[in-house]
Amino acid sequence: MEMHGYNMPEDLHYEENHFWVKEEGDLLVMGMDDFAQTMAGEIVYVQLPEDGKEIKKGKKFAKIESGKWLGKVFAPVNGKIASVNEELETNPGLINDDCYGKGWMYKIQPDDKSEMGTLIHGKEAIEKWLVADIEKYAEG
Amino acid sequence: MPSRYEFEEKFREQILRCSRCGFCQAVCPVFGATLRPALNARGKMLLLKEVMDGRIELNDELIESLFQCTTCANCYKNCPSGVNVPEIIRLARKDMVKGGSCHPAFKGMNEVLDKSPNIYAEDDPEDFDREKNQQAENVYFVGCVGLYREDEATSATLDLLDRLKVDYTLIDEVCCSGVLEDVGFSMKDHLVLKNIEGILATGARRVITGCPYCSRTFNKQPQYAALKDKGIEVVHIAQFLQGFDFGVTTDKRVTYHDPCDLGRHCGIYEEPRITIRKIAPDFVEMADNRENALCCGAGGGVRGAYAKNSIAMARRRLEQAEAIGADIILTECNSCVHNLTNAKLRKQKFKIYNTTQFINELMEKAESA
Repeated sequence: MEMHGYNMPEDLHYEENHFWVKEEGDLLVMGMDDFAQTMAGEIVYVQLPEDGKEIKKGKKFAKIESGKWLGKVFAPVNGKIASVNEELETNPGLINDDCYGKGWMYKIQPDDKSEMGTLIHGKEAIEKWLVADIEKYAEG
Repeated sequence: MPSRYEFEEKFREQILRCSRCGFCQAVCPVFGATLRPALNARGKMLLLKEVMDGRIELNDELIESLFQCTTCANCYKNCPSGVNVPEIIRLARKDMVKGGSCHPAFKGMNEVLDKSPNIYAEDDPEDFDREKNQQAENVYFVGCVGLYREDEATSATLDLLDRLKVDYTLIDEVCCSGVLEDVGFSMKDHLVLKNIEGILATGARRVITGCPYCSRTFNKQPQYAALKDKGIEVVHIAQFLQGFDFGVTTDKRVTYHDPCDLGRHCGIYEEPRITIRKIAPDFVEMADNRENALCCGAGGGVRGAYAKNSIAMARRRLEQAEAIGADIILTECNSCVHNLTNAKLRKQKFKIYNTTQFINELMEKAESA
């Protein structure tokens, strides 16, 4: 749904650095949200870790780049990388074109799916967090 | 009548000497990735001839061609007419900037370096858990890419220097700013001064750089002449390491990618190979090597301004490594490591390292065995 000029679907969970997470069977799917892809500009590189790589909640596990900007991708939960979107290897711009669809980034096998509860979720929480970040980046 | 442009004053005769033979096209990384004749050296020389003849203006319409050059100098090395394309492009870019035409990425870089100590405008440099600004025989000068993009490679390099018991210190370094000379602007006096003061304060007799471009800048740009005047030698780490024995070898098939800034621009081809042959009995050259090495696509600001094409250039280089069955690609430049790593596909199973990082890994494994 449209929120302060950004498409921020309410049914998704969000990691605080602007990556979305949603359930898909036993797995979680993760990608970049509209605010982040807009701020970043044209994405030119996404690091795609090997399947099976262990990830720790809050720790960096991949890098993403747009021209001179280098972003870090932090694990939203504890778990393992189950698969990655290999199309991003040759077409990272899919993140700009369709960040919630064809531009998905990683599928995660979570250790404990209930950790989703620690992420930002629900219209009110999403809006509060988004407004704060819009202000933060406007200052920067 | 004096020319309107510096590039014409200095290089008119060379531009007219271009015989349109196309030898440059065969080796130009930008042409290799885009297949656009207007982007190779011959195309650029033709455009500049048109400018000299007054048929076209040196304006925004030429940005895409003249600012899309990695300054790898492969064209110059292969030009039978001896046309120094990288120097011509460098001056033409300066003329364009004077006239108000510039790629926004480079305009941005120039502005960033007025306020920030590094090209990425990052304000949180790694300290690599080491004391800085100490008295030491050597200063290890990391460079922007090693500080902010390839910090793991830098960390491994410093571990290697520790293992080899090298007396060195880091300093509160800032961008050498040499790249600005390549993208239409001029080096920043305040950054140069900060580096010179930082180096002199350590009492070091030698600066070892992790970045070939920094080494080139310190040695060739007159703004850094104070280092030479004080008797301080500046070497790239590939030169510094050639005399060491590491006591480790790998059974992997290893190849070496010559960085343009170390190879074609500084003539340093053998020193890295001396080191690599000590540790890698199965060392194999790629089809294009030494002065003919394909550029990784990152130089001349192209990685920042034309990232997609830059990565496409790196993919062409990686195909050459794949063709010889390499397990390991070593190089001596953090920009090359960065771009080649970005370009590597998951199906390509080789690994890409700075030579120092790879040696450190071998020594670390040997110690823990």
